[in-house]
Amino acid sequence: MKLSKTVCSLAIAALAGFAGFAHAQWKPTKPIEIIVHTAPGGGNDLLARAMVQMLEKENLLPVRMQVLNRPGGNGAVAAAAIAEKKGEPHTLGVVSSAWIANALVTREAKVTLHDLTPVAGLLQEPALIAVRSDSPFKTLKEFIEVAKAKPGTLKQSGGSVTSRDNIIRQTLQHSTGAKWAFVSFPGGGERLAALLGGHVDMMVIEPQEAGEQIRAGKLRVLTQISDKPLSGFPNVPNLKQSGFDVGSTPQIRAVMAPPDFPKDALAYYEDLFLKLSKTGSWKKYVDDYQLEDSYMNGAALGKTIAAIENDLRNQYQQAGVKTVR
Amino acid sequence: MDILNGLMQGFSVALTPMNLVMCFLGCLLGTIVGVLPGLGPPATIAMLLPLTFKMDPTGAMIMLAGIYYGAKYGGSTTSILLNVPGESSSVVTCLDGYQMARKGRAGAALGISAIASFVAGTIGTVLLMLVAPPLAKLSLAFSSPEYFALMVLGLAMVVLLAGDSLTKALLAMTFGLWIAGMGTDLFTATSRFTFGQTELLGGIDFVIVAIGIFAVGEVMANMEPEKPLDMLPVPKGLKNLFPTLQDLKDCRFAFMNGSIIGFFIGILPGAGATISSFLSYGLEKAVSKHPEKFGTGVIEGVAAPEGANNADTAGAMVPLLTLGIPGSGTTAILLAALVLWGFKPGPMFIEDSPAMFWGLVASMYIGNVVLLILNLPLVAVFAQLLRMPGYVMYPLILGVSMVGIYTINSSIFQLCLLAVFGLVGYAMRKLDFPTAPLVLGLVLGDSMEKALRQSLMMSQGDLSILLRPIPAVLLSIAAFLLLVPLIKKFNSVRAQVIDKEA
Repeated sequence: MKLSKTVCSLAIAALAGFAGFAHAQWKPTKPIEIIVHTAPGGGNDLLARAMVQMLEKENLLPVRMQVLNRPGGNGAVAAAAIAEKKGEPHTLGVVSSAWIANALVTREAKVTLHDLTPVAGLLQEPALIAVRSDSPFKTLKEFIEVAKAKPGTLKQSGGSVTSRDNIIRQTLQHSTGAKWAFVSFPGGGERLAALLGGHVDMMVIEPQEAGEQIRAGKLRVLTQISDKPLSGFPNVPNLKQSGFDVGSTPQIRAVMAPPDFPKDALAYYEDLFLKLSKTGSWKKYVDDYQLEDSYMNGAALGKTIAAIENDLRNQYQQAGVKTVR
Repeated sequence: MDILNGLMQGFSVALTPMNLVMCFLGCLLGTIVGVLPGLGPPATIAMLLPLTFKMDPTGAMIMLAGIYYGAKYGGSTTSILLNVPGESSSVVTCLDGYQMARKGRAGAALGISAIASFVAGTIGTVLLMLVAPPLAKLSLAFSSPEYFALMVLGLAMVVLLAGDSLTKALLAMTFGLWIAGMGTDLFTATSRFTFGQTELLGGIDFVIVAIGIFAVGEVMANMEPEKPLDMLPVPKGLKNLFPTLQDLKDCRFAFMNGSIIGFFIGILPGAGATISSFLSYGLEKAVSKHPEKFGTGVIEGVAAPEGANNADTAGAMVPLLTLGIPGSGTTAILLAALVLWGFKPGPMFIEDSPAMFWGLVASMYIGNVVLLILNLPLVAVFAQLLRMPGYVMYPLILGVSMVGIYTINSSIFQLCLLAVFGLVGYAMRKLDFPTAPLVLGLVLGDSMEKALRQSLMMSQGDLSILLRPIPAVLLSIAAFLLLVPLIKKFNSVRAQVIDKEA
């Protein structure tokens, strides 16, 4: 009896020790700072705050995580702030495709994602191509045909010239020879208002933003831009099904860490975000915002970023936007 | 009848003890956030958002909305007392509010700003309740050409903000337009006037310039040795602290002007509270019987913009709640909050969630009463602050300014910018340049440029897009405003010539 108890506890201790040795050598010992490139309320900021909330709720972290806003320079200030914490395992950053895009065209951005350590890819953001419900265009093909026949008369509202909205336009224009105008608006609300008010003809919109407009009969979706069909839009064709076999540059959100990041800390965080991506809270968040869950580890993220960067560089050169690296 | 039923339902939601507490909490937090320069409602709401996940969504929305409109009440406090704008929409309040304080009428200025906020906030809520859906359609008719014309009209007000010299005012405005052009260009991704500085890629925050030029510049001007550091007069007795009946009578038009302009600019997703406060100030001055006194401490100059920035929040709720379109940073976060709580903001929101919509509307009536009750007694407290001697007061202003700027981005670079603009403000005072036109150019420049380029992209370069009905009317008014001083000048020159000949 006594012996078996001892053996048991020894075995448990050994198991626990082994398990600990296998993948949790390193553990955070003080609060983790997670740097975002927008002011409170921006896209990455809201994602980071939701993440902190979920990590806490699911009890995945032994320490607290706090969001640190370093806005400015479209990500350049935040990238520099992360790079400054060289080798510090308690600093992370939430990055988006915008960081890759801006570093490509901005000479002043001294730190790029290449200088940071990729930790984990979290999300891909799908998009929809939408028109007003009273628009004559029922399919993307019809839109492209008119844009070919009368170049420059159709208009699309979107964000900056480097944004994904414009990349999708460039890709389609390049492969079909069609031409239409791209009108930049700083805010998502203004883009949507321009479309609903009939001032432009088409827009690339986030599914969550479009969902209610479609239900109210204000918008019609022509095409979805995503790898897997979106749960909320089962009958909407993707680019290929719409008759345009062109690739689309994914829009990602991911976690990066400072340069010279310790290997064991990297393993810890890769595991942490893998666990997070499997929780119910995360699945609900992804579903509420109609996002695409796409966990990948650091190595895979590094490759994805490099691929996106190449893609964007080509697109910008086609579009006549000057790249600096 | 529907509206009445809705409102009854709304009050039954908003008057539950828990929601009353949330409303009070939101208003209190909003007032505090408003008083503190730098920290604004968007940042506060974003930081509080995680706390609301476990709360009842209606109560949480009531609280967050309370922070949004409550901040507009508090924003005027430091503008009036210290010449430090607490919110960007309270910059115009500095012009006459601070001058009133210097004349010993700080209490009246603070009081009228609370009353104007209450009146405009309430009228705005009435309009939100009665005419939201049809107005939402109107807001969609506004696009880039209309915005461009609106901004030009705003800029034409430089004539009204100019002091003795229109030339100096135009120079100051052009300087403001130049600062507005700094940063990354949205249309071409080109960096403009960044001097190789990463920190300038996003442009210069409007609040840094306003606080630098108004507050820091003012402190420096007051520190000159030949001037004695005298205390500002504060009248004794509670009764003398509050606005008089005559003050209220003087502000009758300002209350209406602020309410209407604020609300209508508020429903436009591309404008903003700062623009509405400038426009209502301009209108107030344009129709005033004594326009020459503006800028020296007239009470309408406080009431109009303070009313406008409050009615603006009610206006901004229109596209948010009826269309699902956020028009500003704060409403964008409120939209994100609604999604997080499982609501579906969009064209069918009011139909789907009547309890939330009407509860919110009812809470805004209650909130405005709460804010009035909360802010009026504070007037007496805040007015006493001015009894401080200069050697306490001026360091305090500098301290408040620096902390305010640092809380925006935690950036030392921006503190340096603050110092630079403090020097600019001092130099402008010494050289007798009016500062308001600079701020006006800065506020409107960026949106005006974008609106013009968007319009021309839409029309493939055809300028006639700017002659659609609404822009044509707005541009004509602007042209008229600009021509008035020329005509006046021409007449006076002609009179002189005639005099000489005679």
